[in-house]
Amino acid sequence: MNSAYTPSLIQLRQVVKRFKNSAGEFVALRGVNVDIPTSEFVAIVGKSGSGKSTLLNMITGIDHPTSGEVLVNGVNIYQMTESQRALWRGCNMGIVFQFFQLMPMLTLHENTMLPMDYCNVFSPAERPERAMELLKMVGLEQQAHKLPAAVSSGQQQTAAIARAMATDPPIIVADEPTGNLDSRSSDEIIELFNRLVEQGKTIILVTHDPSITKRTLRTLIISDGEIIDEAVAQALPLLSHAKMLKVTHLVKRMEISPGGMIIRKGQNVDNFFIIVRGQVEIVLESSKRPEVTLGQLGPGEFFGEIELIHGGDSIASVRAAPDAPVELVALPHKDFAEMLVGSPLTEEALSRIVQARLAQNRSADRRTGWW
Amino acid sequence: MIRPRWRKVLSDLWDNKSRTLLVVASIAVGVFSIGMIAGAYEIISNDMGASYASAVPANIDMRIDPFNQVLLDSLQSMDGVKDAEGRGFFSVRTRHPGGEWTNLELVAIDDFNAVQINLLLPLQGNPVPADKQVILEQKALNDLSVKVGDDLDFQLPNGKIKTMTVVGIVQDQTTGAGDFLSPPLGYVTLDTLPWLGLPPLYNHLLVTVNGNSNDIDHIRQVSAAVTDKIEKSGRQVYRTKLNMSNEHPMASTVKAILGILMALGLLIVFLSGSLIANTLNSLLTQHLPHIGVMKLIGARSQQIFGMYIVLILSFGLIALLIALPTGGQAAYALSELIASKMNFNLQGYRIVPLAFTLQAIVALLVPLAAGFIPVNNGSRIKVQAAISGNGTASGKASSGWLERLGSRVKWLSRPMLISLRNTFRRKRRLLLTLLTLTIGGAIFIGVFNVQRSLNDYMVMTGKYFIADVTLSFDRPYRVNEINQAVMRIPHVQHVEGWLQLGAEIINSAGDTSANLSILAPPVDSKLIEPIMLQGRWLKPGDTTAITVGEAIWSDYPGLKPGDQLKLKLNGQEDYWTVVGIFRFISRDQIIAYASYDYISQLLSLTGQSSSYRVVTDQHSLEYQKQMAATIDSNLRGLGYHVSESQAGLATLQIASESLAILINFLLIMALLTATVGSIGLTGTMGMNVMERTREIGIMRAIGATDSQIMKTVMVEGLIIGMISWFLAAIVSFPITILLSRIISMAIFNSPSKFMLNPLGFLIWLGLVLVLAAVASVLPARNAAHLTIREVLAYE
Repeated sequence: MNSAYTPSLIQLRQVVKRFKNSAGEFVALRGVNVDIPTSEFVAIVGKSGSGKSTLLNMITGIDHPTSGEVLVNGVNIYQMTESQRALWRGCNMGIVFQFFQLMPMLTLHENTMLPMDYCNVFSPAERPERAMELLKMVGLEQQAHKLPAAVSSGQQQTAAIARAMATDPPIIVADEPTGNLDSRSSDEIIELFNRLVEQGKTIILVTHDPSITKRTLRTLIISDGEIIDEAVAQALPLLSHAKMLKVTHLVKRMEISPGGMIIRKGQNVDNFFIIVRGQVEIVLESSKRPEVTLGQLGPGEFFGEIELIHGGDSIASVRAAPDAPVELVALPHKDFAEMLVGSPLTEEALSRIVQARLAQNRSADRRTGWW
Repeated sequence: MIRPRWRKVLSDLWDNKSRTLLVVASIAVGVFSIGMIAGAYEIISNDMGASYASAVPANIDMRIDPFNQVLLDSLQSMDGVKDAEGRGFFSVRTRHPGGEWTNLELVAIDDFNAVQINLLLPLQGNPVPADKQVILEQKALNDLSVKVGDDLDFQLPNGKIKTMTVVGIVQDQTTGAGDFLSPPLGYVTLDTLPWLGLPPLYNHLLVTVNGNSNDIDHIRQVSAAVTDKIEKSGRQVYRTKLNMSNEHPMASTVKAILGILMALGLLIVFLSGSLIANTLNSLLTQHLPHIGVMKLIGARSQQIFGMYIVLILSFGLIALLIALPTGGQAAYALSELIASKMNFNLQGYRIVPLAFTLQAIVALLVPLAAGFIPVNNGSRIKVQAAISGNGTASGKASSGWLERLGSRVKWLSRPMLISLRNTFRRKRRLLLTLLTLTIGGAIFIGVFNVQRSLNDYMVMTGKYFIADVTLSFDRPYRVNEINQAVMRIPHVQHVEGWLQLGAEIINSAGDTSANLSILAPPVDSKLIEPIMLQGRWLKPGDTTAITVGEAIWSDYPGLKPGDQLKLKLNGQEDYWTVVGIFRFISRDQIIAYASYDYISQLLSLTGQSSSYRVVTDQHSLEYQKQMAATIDSNLRGLGYHVSESQAGLATLQIASESLAILINFLLIMALLTATVGSIGLTGTMGMNVMERTREIGIMRAIGATDSQIMKTVMVEGLIIGMISWFLAAIVSFPITILLSRIISMAIFNSPSKFMLNPLGFLIWLGLVLVLAAVASVLPARNAAHLTIREVLAYE
């Protein structure tokens, strides 16, 4: 995945959402920035109260941000009235709710036709046929003329997906769509989403279920109203969300030009580096011998941990790949050390990685005769 | 410190203000109605009689040949006679100098300070006029814009004009009581009469009786003795009217009308009860999770029952606090309106204990009765059922016939299908709403139907008064002579000379059992189109033959053509054959028609008449008035003594106006029922929207705009409105029959014809659609303005 070069379908810029109630003010989103390009299958995860539903509401235009802007397909959706936004949403976004939310007085077929009626898309004569096609696609043609209450929960949710597809929107947003379903129904729903992504739809779903995040292309973790740096989350998955967020706050962002040196062999290493974008090469270089590339690392991977854990100077050079710049985040030595103290699991996992990498280096050295 | 559960009751009252308002309004409208009507009923029942009695009404009121003090003195000494007084009644015309003429009955009294009967209540100025001064009864101010100190011109039958100063305004609660058609009155001293060119004599005798003056039989006995004495003095009695001292002549009518209003009020209470039941059902449904939680932490069913009963009583108490003073004020305002129309006085604003008690009962017991079942069911619900929210609107499959029928409707767009199917989702609520709106609408339509049938009565009455101008002279003139004089006036097309006289029906005991007004038109008169109920109309050659108005049946039930009545007419008693009975409204007067030829012969007035009917080429009231004035001045110019010239439609108009008052009362009640209906509909729509807030959020989420959501809600309201209109149209039939029967029996003493007024159906259709739209627009607007976040968070 390389989102930097794809125009973003959904852009959230410095989105802040505050709620006020009698207990005081509560900040649900704290300056969130998110870019979601076309045809992505994105999972939003987070603990209860982390702000994931609020984030989803910002994307769907269901709620207003206190500040910041939300652009969907280049349209600032909060410059519309609520009513205009409803129509816009009907045409551009299919929404799937946790509790299905089919209209109980309409059959599945009628439910599927309803958004077409509201948005006046497809001719009235085409609508029944299209609704039936969608129901067929989700395997509900036999149930089409039943009321929601007469079919199973899984069938209701697949009907809700058919309804979300009714106006052929480019984006489908689902809030815990499998939260009330058994595992078989959940699998079918996710499979259905994957097929839709293959057809070019962008799908954003909120979930608690880690098995689902494994099947999406991208995961956004939200904690205490902030999005955790995706690279941090990818690199340090065993950290708690709170610690990930802390690391996100501590890291420094840097961009290195193509071929630019990041760490030179023999130098002191002060940071733990995580690759956000682009690739780095790990090389052994010497004036006496030809340069040897030990390996390449991509987004979500990290380097610098060996020196920070074991001490000593750098055992190899790390530089940006020659064809493209690389974006990194760097966690200072002291913070890295604190992080490890606070997360023994991460320390253990990193130690294993360090052992593996050292072993890998040694064998490379032997091959190349460096030692 | 208030215990938590009572704090919850308080917050239930306060937190959802719109719901509290709805329940309180539902209760208050019934409490208000019953307070207004019961209060008015009591006030009028007491004050009408008391006010009337305070004026010492004459128990016997006789129109007789002119008499003087000598006859009065001899009558005064009779057994059974408490007081006897004379009055001189003269029809004159009066005007503000330079203004338009209007008819006035001038009443001459010898000594105003000695009056003991038909007392005059001073209102303004001096209640005792000096010679050549006049005082006016307050009703005269409707036709004359005069004030104390102004001069008035009086035109006398001989054509002369005299000017007198108005020195006072009085109220006469007795003269003409109950007769909407009676002319306004003015009072002068007996000594003024010669100056006006009138004889200083009395022609009306007023008598109060000793003993029980509220016993009509006793009064009748005294009246018979008085009549005997008068006739022995060589004078004739033309007309006798008997009154009880403390019963206003219109009391029974007013009470009958108030009775109908009371019935309507009770209906409103019933309807408001159904509203309350509806709202409380919804409240309990909304509160099921609360009940579940309370039970979970140890609340017993009785405790929960007690909490909700207190809540209901609180609603009732608030409604009572609102409706008690407003209902009391409205009762007094209604009584005042009736009193001013009936010319009697109220004893002042007061709290009517009966109304107060009824209001308290209605405010507290009706909600309890209406809420008992929902509260009982709600408080007994199992914890699990309560917490899981079973019973909310969230997507239960239903297989009722209505749903099956609704699911067959495929040709409507989905948003319309939602409106249609939503209409029938809460059947009990729909049923109660429909009941309220249907009854309200049926009464509304019924009132219009009754109005039409009453108007039809008036139109029917018009068939007996086809003439455009009615002329009265103070003495008979030859018919040919008047005919020639009037026909010469441009635009006059036809003239007929009629005779009219009073007669008495003599019963087998030889006493007067009823008065009869006999009109004697030419038998081939074109100016009367009788509606015969039995028998035939007059025909040439008829002699002692009469056709009688249906009012005869109240004195002689079962009377039929061919029967004979003994009549005392012009001092002679004779048997007359009833040849037909015709339809005619007359509350306290029996009208009969006899042949002009025979009556003129009987009165020795062959070829003469003092009453003429004129037909002109146009028939509007304005034109008739103009022609009446033209004919009047023409004839006076020729030296004829015209005593009165009246437009034909004027009489009908006055009668119609008095009916309009009644219709307005009924319309007020109809509007009150409509108000209950609209509150019901608003409540239902509000509750429906409240329960479906989540669904509205879903609609919003999948693309419904504000207007589409509003349309969905409003169409549902309109469907309910249309169904209720259809049902109301059907139910209005029996209601019309019942209402028009009761009302026409009360007013006219005869049943009216069942008639339909399309206007009522149309107005109600328009009104119910507007009501439905208005009732749904607010919840619809609220629903449309909720953000989806609020909606989806709503549980």
